[in-house]
Amino acid sequence: MTFRFLLLASRRAGHLARQQYDVIVVGGGHAGAEAAAAAARMGAETLLVTQKIHTIGVLSCNPSLGGIGKGHLVKEIDALDGLCGRAGDWAGIYFSILNRKKGPAVWGPRAQLDRQRYREFIQAELLGTPRLTVLEGSVEELQVTEPNPEEPGHHRVTGIRLANGSHQISARSVVLTTGTFLSGSLFMGQTTSPGGRIGDAPSSAGLSYTLQERLGLRVGRLRTGTPPRIVKDSVDFSLVEPHLPDKHPTPFSFLNTHVRCKPEEQLLCYLTCTTPGVERVVRESLHLNCHIQQDTKGPRYCPSIESRVLRFPGRAHQVWLEPEGVNSDLLYPQGLSMTMPPDMQLLLIREIPGMQRAEIHTPGYGVQYDFVCPTQLSPALQVKSTQGLFLAGQINGTTGYEEAAAQGLWAGVNAARWALSMPPLALSRTESYIGVLIDDLISRGVTEPYRMFTSRAEFRASLRPDNADLRLTLKGFEEVGCVSSLRYQEAVRVRDSLQEALAALQTLTLSAPNWTKKLPNIRISEVKTTSLTGVDLLQYRDVSFEMLASAFPECLSRFTEFSQRLKIEAVYRFHCELQKKEIERIQKEENMALPQDIDYFSLPVSLSQEVREILDRFRPSTLGAATRLQGITPAAIVNLLQYVYHTGQKERGPRRNKPDHKEDREEELCARNASIPQ
Amino acid sequence: MLPSVHRGILKAAVHTLRTRGAPLNRVMSICDGVPVGLADAETIFALSSGHGRCGVAVVRVSGPASATALRSMAGLTRSLPPPRTALLRSITEPQSKEVLDRGLVLWFPAPHSFTGEDSVEFHIHGGPAVITAVLQALGSMPGMRPAEAGEFTRRAFQAEKLGLTEVEGLGDLIHAETEAQRRQALRQMSGDLGRLYQDWSHKLKRCLAHVEAFIDFSEDELIEDGVLTQVDKSVCDLQADIERHLKDERRGERLRSGVQVVIAGATNAGKSSLLNTICQRPAAIVSPIAGTTRDVVETALDIGGFPVLLTDTAGLRDSPDLVEREGVRRARERVEQADLTLVVVDCAHLPSDAQEAAAFLLAHLKSILPETAFPPTRCLLVLNKTDLLHGDQRQKLDWELRRVCGLPPVCLISCHTNEGLQDFVTVLHNSVKTLCGDPLSGAPTLTQARHRAHLQQCVTALAQYQQYRDTDLALAAEGVRLALTSLGRITGRVGPEEILDIIFKDFCIGK
Repeated sequence: MTFRFLLLASRRAGHLARQQYDVIVVGGGHAGAEAAAAAARMGAETLLVTQKIHTIGVLSCNPSLGGIGKGHLVKEIDALDGLCGRAGDWAGIYFSILNRKKGPAVWGPRAQLDRQRYREFIQAELLGTPRLTVLEGSVEELQVTEPNPEEPGHHRVTGIRLANGSHQISARSVVLTTGTFLSGSLFMGQTTSPGGRIGDAPSSAGLSYTLQERLGLRVGRLRTGTPPRIVKDSVDFSLVEPHLPDKHPTPFSFLNTHVRCKPEEQLLCYLTCTTPGVERVVRESLHLNCHIQQDTKGPRYCPSIESRVLRFPGRAHQVWLEPEGVNSDLLYPQGLSMTMPPDMQLLLIREIPGMQRAEIHTPGYGVQYDFVCPTQLSPALQVKSTQGLFLAGQINGTTGYEEAAAQGLWAGVNAARWALSMPPLALSRTESYIGVLIDDLISRGVTEPYRMFTSRAEFRASLRPDNADLRLTLKGFEEVGCVSSLRYQEAVRVRDSLQEALAALQTLTLSAPNWTKKLPNIRISEVKTTSLTGVDLLQYRDVSFEMLASAFPECLSRFTEFSQRLKIEAVYRFHCELQKKEIERIQKEENMALPQDIDYFSLPVSLSQEVREILDRFRPSTLGAATRLQGITPAAIVNLLQYVYHTGQKERGPRRNKPDHKEDREEELCARNASIPQ
Repeated sequence: MLPSVHRGILKAAVHTLRTRGAPLNRVMSICDGVPVGLADAETIFALSSGHGRCGVAVVRVSGPASATALRSMAGLTRSLPPPRTALLRSITEPQSKEVLDRGLVLWFPAPHSFTGEDSVEFHIHGGPAVITAVLQALGSMPGMRPAEAGEFTRRAFQAEKLGLTEVEGLGDLIHAETEAQRRQALRQMSGDLGRLYQDWSHKLKRCLAHVEAFIDFSEDELIEDGVLTQVDKSVCDLQADIERHLKDERRGERLRSGVQVVIAGATNAGKSSLLNTICQRPAAIVSPIAGTTRDVVETALDIGGFPVLLTDTAGLRDSPDLVEREGVRRARERVEQADLTLVVVDCAHLPSDAQEAAAFLLAHLKSILPETAFPPTRCLLVLNKTDLLHGDQRQKLDWELRRVCGLPPVCLISCHTNEGLQDFVTVLHNSVKTLCGDPLSGAPTLTQARHRAHLQQCVTALAQYQQYRDTDLALAAEGVRLALTSLGRITGRVGPEEILDIIFKDFCIGK
């Protein structure tokens, strides 16, 4: 692996094989890595530009992946052949499935990661990806020209200009994943310095200028923070509560049957909590704390310890001490993000049981950064006004590795599709958490850093972590083009086996007394005359697929590989069927595209001024997105429907005679479920 | 004979008695989507003719279950009628097979219908009782639900049945309808009922927020286990409250099976004469002998369009006769179950002083009505035999009794001469109307049917919470979410952001 690193690092701008790429990805964080890999998988010649090659795939904040809601995203990214699931299986050192007792739809696969191993895996993956070149450099600005008049938009991106010596590289599309670096400032105590992460140079002001002044994009400002890192040996572990990982680690990736870390080699996490002393230090240091005094929006669900004790005083707040890696001497204190001066940080942590003599390795700090209001994006994560420009990650107002990676993947897919003259694609909120994430961002915008929760997904019973492959891998290969045939074949095998197994269970029909004979330990409450299928039986709380398989080995034993999935399918089947009708309704509405260049103020349909303003502000991509906007009346929806119908008919007429590329796109649009207009 | 003015309001007709308590909307789909603008596979129905009294009312049905509806309600077991041809049929309740009305049915198979879907029209008589009965019968069939405002037109639009010029007006039409609906909802919402629904919605929102908080955050956070125990209790209470409300709110049922009006009083006060006078036929035997009526005599009537079940009872007195004693027991039982009691008093027995008369009447009421009926709001005092009073005695009594507090409305009549009967009938009609709710103002029958359907769904969904509470919290939460969605159809939509707001307000989430 060391050898590969040398190769990777050796690429410099002057040595680039070409000066023209299909896709350029700016930034090497979680969004950038997935975007570059996805674009290359799609078949696009891709260039990843990052400030420092060795920080590609770095875990800037917490050393963990997945969790409730976030675990769903990791599974979906993996189902679309992304990196982070496999990277997590490689780097994980503590695996657990959260919410184990609350039902498979909300299980949260999660792992503590070894920072070093995670970075290594991502860097090696990117290096091994055909058609992907990695370049160390700083992007000075975007190259912008006149738009292609056949497509909507006011500008077109044609490439980037690097900071050193005005070196220009052109590309058909550019994905920006600048994280917290867009006009980022770092806060610690009363000192403020420009930058997006401690130890890294601030990004150029030119990029920010291009986005706001040249492209006219609306930006907002958000803040976040990270806790101090604690020297492991300075913690008294007799005073904190150890937490064990799962005995049998469950891999994130659908391709893996086991993880790299041996079960018995997993590390521990520790739980401790804040004391009244912590609250006192926070209050005493308030006047020295610039970050907390500002009113920039921070996340409500990942607040600094300062805002936690100020908002909910007089309580003990949990603090998790998490390992940073197999060979790391540090601990990550989850829940102690803080921005006070370093000496006060030390005072604070020493008020916490187990940390009375703790030492700080690196102090915590806060970051404030610009984000581009995501309502200016299409469902393909393209800036609506600018052809070929895609945004992903924190630049869109989200927080979290998984949220960033999910957007990165989808922006990479669509940047490649744009570059290769393929129509853009959207993921529906009815089929994936990634779809929920993107739809929430682009149709509602953000007022605080956006994080995924399972409660955001209306169709939670259908969008489960266990079936992400069935939902996305098949589509990812057949329609999108970002999935390898190897993974596709595996997904097809899984789908066929599950179908066969369910069919076999369905034909297994016995009367209640006969089932009791076969499974004497199960109490079957049904009346004697009812006949029950294997699927019915599997819905019983105490019946497992293994039990049925050992009762009927001849027809079921070959499916025991899928025991858990079959059990889940049986229990959720009814609820998914119920959701289907609603899902179909929403998909129909999402299928009705609203042209992106509508001037809502002059649209010749009957709409109130208020409705016109809302539509103009949010510019929904589809009728479905419009119905979810607050303040849109049913009457307005009908009038819009009429407009879509009307213009659709008018445009389809004459174009049918001259078959050109655009025509193909439109045809495909009509045929495809979740396509979106250009 | 009654003066002709009465005939409009007081129409003696044997009203079809239907089984009481048949559940409305027996099969309820848990997942019913709000039709915002696109066709569903669901079948919808609505009164399509204007609201208000009319000779003929048209109830329209559209969707895949239309044919089934037509078959089971028009008694067409084998073949459907020829398309677009009117057929005179008895229209029956699908389960009990009881005849609701006799009217025309029309069958419009897809795509040759207004909506482009299979459609059926029932042309029935325009009385509110008939309309309500037919709508409720439709609602009791699987896959059927009351249409939302403008839904027929929307479906027609989607089937490309409407030209563009017609569609131009559609938005305005829906605007007008939703506007009317909103105003009506506001009217209904401003009262106690509205407050009740809002209160439920608020409680459900908190329940959902707390379950969601438990699902999304409890692994990392200090979310006390007690949170779920509280939700359990709230869900249980809510379920009981809504069920009780669905049962208690008998207006719809009264409209369907008739208002129970019971005539009670002392022997020989003229109760049976009153019954015969109201139904214009000798339904009960009358004689000057006290204790003539020994059992309960029931007659179904239509009063101003409202079905009424009028019951004559034995005169209340202590009698040594075993049969009569049983009659008195039954009489008291009926009075207890009555929606409205007509207490009949012989004028001649009244003290001549007005104050004393009032005291006498109050005492008399107490001897007849059960204690729970006080203050006597569901009661009319009928002072019979005014023909036996002299000259201005009647007027004076009437005038003075009206000024006494604590007495129910008083009507002075003579069953012998029909004096005062017109006023009495008006008072009776108004009382019945209040008890049924007035279906002619702003079509509340329709709205009520929708409310009931949504409330029923809410209860079903809450049962899902109970069912999965211990095995799968995600599915349990789904139940609360569906319940909130159903209630939201009445009180307004609740989005995920609102739930998250409550979560962050109530819990300190730090991860």
